[in-house]
Amino acid sequence: MDNIIEVKNLKISFRTNSGILKAVRNISFNLHRGETLAIVGESGSGKSVTSKAILGILAGNAIVESGEILYDGQDMLKISEEDMCKIRGDKISMIFQDPLSSLDPIVKIGRQITEAMILKNKTNRKRARVEFNSMLAKLKENMLEAAQSHPEINAESVPGIIETFDKFNILAIGLENAYNISYNSAEGLLGDVKDFVFRASKKQSLEVKKTLLEFVSVLKLTKNPFFSVGADAEIDALCSAITKERDAYKVTKDENGVAHTYILSDTLLSTLDSVEKLLERLLAAERPNFFRIGYYRFRNPEATLDLSDMAAVNKMALEYLNREFMEEFIRYEELAIANSYEKSLAKKRAALSLLAEAREYYETAPLTIAEARSMAKRVIAEVEGSIDRLEYIKDNVAYTFGSSLTTAVEKYFRYEKLNPKEEARYEKQNAKRDALIARGKKVDWKVAPKNVYDLEDLRAEIVSVIDRLVRSYNRAIERAGERDIHAHAVGLIDYLKERASEVVYKITKRMARDKAIKLMDEVGIPDARIRYNQYPFEFSGGMRQRIVIAIALAANPDVLICDEPTTALDVTLQAQILELLNKLKAERNLSVIFITHDLGVVANMADRIAVMYAGKIVEEGTSEDVFYDPRHPYTWALLSSMPDLDTNEKLDAIPGTPPNLIYPPVGDAFAARNKYAMKIDFEMQPPMFRVSETHKAATWLLHPDAPKVELPKAIRDRIERMKLKNGGCTDAE
Amino acid sequence: MQNNIPSDVLLRVDNLCQYFKLGSKELHAVDHVSFDIKKGEVFGLVGESGCGKTTTGRSIIKIHQITGGNVFYKGQRIAAGTRGYTDRIAAIKKEYAERVASDRSNKSAILKERDGKIAEVRAEMKAAVAEARNCDRNYAAKLVAEVDAEYRPLIEKATASGDSAELARVKKEYKAKRRVAQKTRLVTQIQMIFQDPVSSLNPRMTVREIISEGLVINGIRDKEYIDEKVYEILELVGLVREHAGRYPHEFSGGQKQRIGIARSVIMRPEMIIADEPVSALDVSIQAQVINLLNELKEQLGLTILFIAHDLSVVKYFSDRIGVMYFGKLVELADSDELFRHPLHPYTRSLLSAIPLPDPKSEKNRKRIIYKPLEEHDYSTDLPSLREVSPGHFVYCNDAEENKYRKELQGE
Repeated sequence: MDNIIEVKNLKISFRTNSGILKAVRNISFNLHRGETLAIVGESGSGKSVTSKAILGILAGNAIVESGEILYDGQDMLKISEEDMCKIRGDKISMIFQDPLSSLDPIVKIGRQITEAMILKNKTNRKRARVEFNSMLAKLKENMLEAAQSHPEINAESVPGIIETFDKFNILAIGLENAYNISYNSAEGLLGDVKDFVFRASKKQSLEVKKTLLEFVSVLKLTKNPFFSVGADAEIDALCSAITKERDAYKVTKDENGVAHTYILSDTLLSTLDSVEKLLERLLAAERPNFFRIGYYRFRNPEATLDLSDMAAVNKMALEYLNREFMEEFIRYEELAIANSYEKSLAKKRAALSLLAEAREYYETAPLTIAEARSMAKRVIAEVEGSIDRLEYIKDNVAYTFGSSLTTAVEKYFRYEKLNPKEEARYEKQNAKRDALIARGKKVDWKVAPKNVYDLEDLRAEIVSVIDRLVRSYNRAIERAGERDIHAHAVGLIDYLKERASEVVYKITKRMARDKAIKLMDEVGIPDARIRYNQYPFEFSGGMRQRIVIAIALAANPDVLICDEPTTALDVTLQAQILELLNKLKAERNLSVIFITHDLGVVANMADRIAVMYAGKIVEEGTSEDVFYDPRHPYTWALLSSMPDLDTNEKLDAIPGTPPNLIYPPVGDAFAARNKYAMKIDFEMQPPMFRVSETHKAATWLLHPDAPKVELPKAIRDRIERMKLKNGGCTDAE
Repeated sequence: MQNNIPSDVLLRVDNLCQYFKLGSKELHAVDHVSFDIKKGEVFGLVGESGCGKTTTGRSIIKIHQITGGNVFYKGQRIAAGTRGYTDRIAAIKKEYAERVASDRSNKSAILKERDGKIAEVRAEMKAAVAEARNCDRNYAAKLVAEVDAEYRPLIEKATASGDSAELARVKKEYKAKRRVAQKTRLVTQIQMIFQDPVSSLNPRMTVREIISEGLVINGIRDKEYIDEKVYEILELVGLVREHAGRYPHEFSGGQKQRIGIARSVIMRPEMIIADEPVSALDVSIQAQVINLLNELKEQLGLTILFIAHDLSVVKYFSDRIGVMYFGKLVELADSDELFRHPLHPYTRSLLSAIPLPDPKSEKNRKRIIYKPLEEHDYSTDLPSLREVSPGHFVYCNDAEENKYRKELQGE
């Protein structure tokens, strides 16, 4: 599984009046594509800080001391604000904890939801066009290069092929979008009509005239040559029938003058019934394959297709496409990919010798600033040249090598200069303090710890950057034979298709509004049409939270960071929102980072769980590992401090409060609150012990010399009960 | 007294209605809610946000003027609404208007009869409102009379003995006690713990001032006594003496909530309304606060109305549970009974939404969605709160009642 976000050795501190607060202390984790990673911990454990660092929205007094956050070939901690803007809210989006402060009080809800869609749409289309064009250009370049050594490529036909691919792709996606609008309107309308009839049968008050008008306008949208095949006349007839009924409709009043809006005429009901039947028929029809049909259309703009049998059309278009174009295209493409790959592999081999030289230099030679910089420049240029640009999943290590190496080198020289100053400051203040104490004064302040770096460590950091790349390159060279060129070729076509669909995907205000209302419905806001035009103060807390979720989802992100999204909500709604997130995750292949203090919530959501305490990850594993086989005492404490439906005994509350991270403890940060703590816990930080392939925990209890400690009884009983319920076994056993 | 409330019932809420004006319409935040809370029990009130649980709590301690119904505390009416009476008057007027229309000859006699009936209802209404309004005054008068009865002989004795120092001491004590008695209110025996520990504490007051405010308002002026009390309470809730001089911002969330609890406990209440006391806290701190509430309950013999939306906490903490939905109490039962045999479809949907720390069963969990329109048909047969089995009340109509009874027997 490939990683979409990699966090490596992240350290973040905050400058405060009373000293430097170390909020995040050296954490590393990976987020796989399409999975949910839950980060669990108390407030102040650094979970929100981590997620904010990913989005680059840390408070002004934050210092990122070291570390990397890799996403899509970029290091999020080092890119400019301008580049960050392209990612934030669009590729990576966030649901904030406090709905009050994340909504603009003087802008209507509707505008706040659609804002991102409309603003990002234009830039996205531009960006997608650039990416599409550059990838296609690289492909063309490589095809031409390959043509020199492979006679089966006809170099003269290459530009034509590339151009055809470009043009018919755009055409196909235009057709598909038009189809999708009709399809989605039909789907929505079917639901609305059913709901309307149902409410009438239950004698609920209705806004008949307004609703019917809406039905007509949406019904008209379902007309599309590919969707409403041969039903256009029927749709028109139904539209006019509904309009006629609407004009004829009068509210029935009883003798007391009470209006019964739900009394509808039989003709109206039968008309609505035939609308339902028509829509059901249209929705059940086979979906046209626009990639194929687009090509057919591109070649034969004049030809008419008989669309009544969509399956046959799809088949015919596929044969046509393969015969005329695709076979040749894929053949050429595969050769081009192989060409680019081999070129890059050769360059990688060449780069390795230079890397070895650089490693040697940075490890042993006395460093001077000019020499070190020029060396870095040379290595970076060589590495950049060796990247395979036809690889659509970017190699994070290679892409961020430049910025990582430069930062590491610069850091070395910065602290070479700063260290003596800091030492002097520390000595001076200590001397002052000692003098005061010697004079018998009461001193209630401590000297801030010194902020110096060991230059040897910094040197090792530079070397480790190089080492990481060397390892990754060696692995790539080793696996050279295993490569599946055909799969890559298909993947590349998909990548291009995706970009093309972004280019064509144009959002109008009307579409944005419809999408926003649908989204509001999805997150459980009743009367979305009315609510759309209201201000944030007209919503209750839970409603505001739902709006915030809708805003985060509106931009259709790759990665969604949820910072305690359901803490303010009640159980039913919480379950509803979690279900929604799960659904969206499956539909859009979303990767989610889910931050919460409540372990109970994440059992449903999470694929993997990381438990954080005092700025460190103390346990990490799949959700089965953490729930059925917890290993760290803090995880035990978290699990046993929440009651479940069968708990009767006294709750095991965790005594005390988390440590003050201005003066982080020397040993295990949890030791002071931990009843299983041993002597070593107060003296030394435990390393991460590996329990199984997926499960790690940082506690001395896992050391082979440690005494055997039983799980607390409450958790043991609970796990037993869960086992019984699940039919005898859990996966972690 | 006209009500026949069993002596073990500490608080009776009878057809409580709390409506809010919403332009020309009314929002029925709490609609005909009735329940009893027995002495020493924990009564949990659950429901989704906006269903009126907090409003119920606030109406009981008279933060809102209630629209209809009554609240009885220790058999004493402490709040009364007029809506029930005005409805009755309107019904009488309508009834007699019809009679007049059908029998024109006797118009004056009928109208006279009508006025008599209306006057009766009006008098009843006035009496109820007056009783509720004067509950504190009557209670204080009773206490003052007790203090008087205690000290009058003492003063007479001191005067007779001619010891002027002794007389002055007794008189001073008498004065202080009388002042406290005068200012005591019945309603202060019900105290509230608020949801948000941050916003419910005044940031410009020290902890000592916050906690002792109730005592000061109650007329106690002895600084040493107040300090002593504050320290005692601080230690009771697991804080230390030194915290008294600090300001709220110097505390963590859990400690703030402890201060909130201390503030409500210092008045030695018999009943506490805890409005989501743990919802805003971390899980580990939640357990501390729940344990604290449990200990206080044992030590001080408290009765607690526990309002929350976290069902596992409510289940753990409460003896009986009421489920609210859109201002109505839809189900009421012992907590074990409610979780074993949930009857109302809304309760079932609520229970199906509880997250469990068990990934396997979580992944297969089917959430039941409550759709009131599809579940119930109340077009002819109107629902009300009925006792389906002993101690188990459900809001339903005849058909549903039969169905529920059968379900209970079938199991």
